[in-house]
Amino acid sequence: MRPSPRPWRVAAALGVLVLAGCADTETSDAGPSVAARWADARARWHIDRDPAAFQAWREIDPATPEGREAHRLLAEAEPLYREGIERVEAGDADARDTFERAVRTAPMDPVLYLPLARAFRDQGTQAPDNPHLFIRAAEYYRKFLAFVPHDPRADEARAELAAIDPDASRLFASPLETSPRDDTAPSSAPALTLTWPLAVAVLALALALGAVGLVLVRARARRESLDSLAAAKPELHPAIHYLVSSLRHELLKHRIGAVGAAIEALGRGGATEAQVDLLRGRLYGGEPLTEAWAGHLDAFTRALGPELDLWQTDRRFREAGRAIERIAKLETKLDQPRAHARLRDAHATLTALDRWLGDFASRLVRTRVDGALFRDVVDAVRAEYAAGQVPLDEVVIRSPDPAPSVEVFRVDLVLVLKNVVRNAILAVGGHAPPRRIGLDVETVLEPTGEETVRIHVRDTSPDELTSEEIYSRRRSRGLGLVTAALARYDGAILVEPGEGEWAKSVVVRFFRADDDPS
Amino acid sequence: MPVLLVIEDGPEYEEFARLFLAERYAIVAARSAAAALARAPEADALLIDLRFERARPEDLIGDAEDAARRLFAGDVERARRWLKEQQGTLILGALREAGHAQPAVFVHDFAPRRLENLNKLYGRVGAVPGFDARSILATLEALA
Repeated sequence: MRPSPRPWRVAAALGVLVLAGCADTETSDAGPSVAARWADARARWHIDRDPAAFQAWREIDPATPEGREAHRLLAEAEPLYREGIERVEAGDADARDTFERAVRTAPMDPVLYLPLARAFRDQGTQAPDNPHLFIRAAEYYRKFLAFVPHDPRADEARAELAAIDPDASRLFASPLETSPRDDTAPSSAPALTLTWPLAVAVLALALALGAVGLVLVRARARRESLDSLAAAKPELHPAIHYLVSSLRHELLKHRIGAVGAAIEALGRGGATEAQVDLLRGRLYGGEPLTEAWAGHLDAFTRALGPELDLWQTDRRFREAGRAIERIAKLETKLDQPRAHARLRDAHATLTALDRWLGDFASRLVRTRVDGALFRDVVDAVRAEYAAGQVPLDEVVIRSPDPAPSVEVFRVDLVLVLKNVVRNAILAVGGHAPPRRIGLDVETVLEPTGEETVRIHVRDTSPDELTSEEIYSRRRSRGLGLVTAALARYDGAILVEPGEGEWAKSVVVRFFRADDDPS
Repeated sequence: MPVLLVIEDGPEYEEFARLFLAERYAIVAARSAAAALARAPEADALLIDLRFERARPEDLIGDAEDAARRLFAGDVERARRWLKEQQGTLILGALREAGHAQPAVFVHDFAPRRLENLNKLYGRVGAVPGFDARSILATLEALA
């Protein structure tokens, strides 16, 4: 992949897309919003590689020239994707060529993520020494469950994902059976004539309602905002990160962020027709903003649990929800100067949420490699039955101050270290005392200016272990998930000879987070 | 006129430099570490691409075997990819080792810590996040 350092070319490509959209506008019967949506849909796929682009392409009205083109390309791409999947199933190393042709043509229907995931899973089963096949399979299962959660095969997909990645499958548990918001409730109750028995019944009902109210108030008090939930449940960080990224990318960036300059121009009274078209297309074209917003918030609740209350408890989301509603109400008032100020304010609220979410998401995927982390890992392993039976003479934990951070979810780093520490404890347990293990961390400056973080898990067991053995034995020693997690973060695991009293050291290596301030 | 040596694996940086920097610098280009070392004596400043993904394996510098052993659990392919992705910094290292201390600018949004590290290692290194001629010229001037 070429680096971002070709921005003028990207800008030019975007310019071509915008110009294409404008040119279409002049000749198309469908009007500018279809052209703008088509340009946007193409950008979402060809530039952003957004899997949700499939839906955006499919929603372009096939009665328009743009829609005919979108549907033609989708139809052309589908057999290529199916052929690519068949080639993966057959273990054909050139499957990539077919996918590349398909990707250049149009987005893939998300329902195909399931056969694709199965094809990689089956290949992974046949080649257990290649963890990347299972990683790819898990990734496609997750995409299938994220983009088509109501597909009849979703339960099968969850079970299959659970077999290769239990943690991830939990994050895509069956959607809760939530009752839809009741828009059909009668606006007024029928008139009642109070009689004595009825009065008693009403009193009883009032008492019951009061009790229910108290329960609701207490339950409300337990409801969580997004940051409080993240603080309480680090195991949810990968799912939260995914949901936040989707919300930012699909709604806050593409629909809200994209119209900032147009809103400014509108406020100055100098917006061109094209700018107003862009603004209308992004804010009022396609799926209504309020529905898109509700859809994202419902996805959060489905994935993270009903205790998350973004509608009321989370102040930032509550204010953003109101801003979305204000924008929706301004659709027919864009010619009024007062509306411009309201639009600007609502836009500022949503931009502030986007900035906060960006910081929040980047914090989720940073883990400080410090003594507290090491102690948590050792305590968790010692709480297990087998590792808890080993009498250890000493556990030596050292970490520098300030400790370095790595760009890895804490839950994944704990998973990796628990497996390595467990193996070290069980290894020393098989030999005579002294039985010692040690955990420490160092950073190394590379000639590229990057820094590597090397986490050492040392032990006194004379059992020999090599890096190759770790990789070849990983499936029987519970290290499959370790190597998979390491691959996901461009990490590595290797064995080095011990120093001093240590027999050996298993080193887990990651690159240091680039923006680590310490 | 001072000479700007553009070091990259393709034509884009050079094309940009000839369009937007030629009023201040005479532009020369090198597509590999060896070519950069050959042309460095005539250069007053360096504009360096970070990634050399189109470079031929034999043109890359850096020890893939050593990187594989130290960083990638023996995966030489991954190590080669890393060398490509970071080749610009390694070429700068080779130039500094050969005694060429000209100001060097990368067009890349390095985090402050990374840029600090590059300056610690090689000195007189700047970075600009995008192809902005004014920023590139200002950064080169500040490093001169």
